[in-house]
Amino acid sequence: MDSRKILIVDDNADIRLGMHLRLKANQYETFFAADAFSGVAEARKHRPDLIILDLGLPAGDGFTVMERLKQIPFLAVIPIIVVSARDGLGNQKRAHEAGARAFLQKPVNDAELLAVIRQALGEPAGTKKPTLYDQGSV
Amino acid sequence: MTKTTRSTSELPAYLSHELRNALACIQQFGSILVDGLAGELSGEQREYLGIMLENASKIRRVLDSALDGTDGSLEERTNKIERVPKLET
Repeated sequence: MDSRKILIVDDNADIRLGMHLRLKANQYETFFAADAFSGVAEARKHRPDLIILDLGLPAGDGFTVMERLKQIPFLAVIPIIVVSARDGLGNQKRAHEAGARAFLQKPVNDAELLAVIRQALGEPAGTKKPTLYDQGSV
Repeated sequence: MTKTTRSTSELPAYLSHELRNALACIQQFGSILVDGLAGELSGEQREYLGIMLENASKIRRVLDSALDGTDGSLEERTNKIERVPKLET
């Protein structure tokens, strides 16, 4: 079975690299964008199975990305998980209203992120390698 | 609202945002190292990284409590996952 494709849209290069390493270890293929414009362009190019989206982005923001994706039928169906350092009070509700499947506030632990990804992709629980840190083994 | 007043009122949100991004990187790469994704660690190295990560978690809990008014508990964070609607097929 081919790897599921995940587009990571975040302007922080360290966050992108960290997510890539974790997702790659869990057999996901990753693509990247560092701003809102590129986020939409990369989604068009790669047609990912899921998008991890930051809210604070150059050239727009995460809400702009969701709005643009909704206008393109073959991209509108892609599940979006918002992972942001912004406060969850107003942003979580707004993200859900914009169509996001989940809102996670940074820092997100890997087990939490992987569980939400699995759920959004319709994968059965426990099919991915758990992390030692999240299991409390350290 | 003056610029000074606005800056003061926005300080908690600014601090929370910046600290959360930095903490996200610390936790992310710490767990990558602990899980051996960048090579095997000795027991002692894993122990020290564990101490580092536990203290990063403490900072997160302080942030949750002091700046965002939540307790940052596992239960609270798990509830977020359970509220995620299932994919429509």
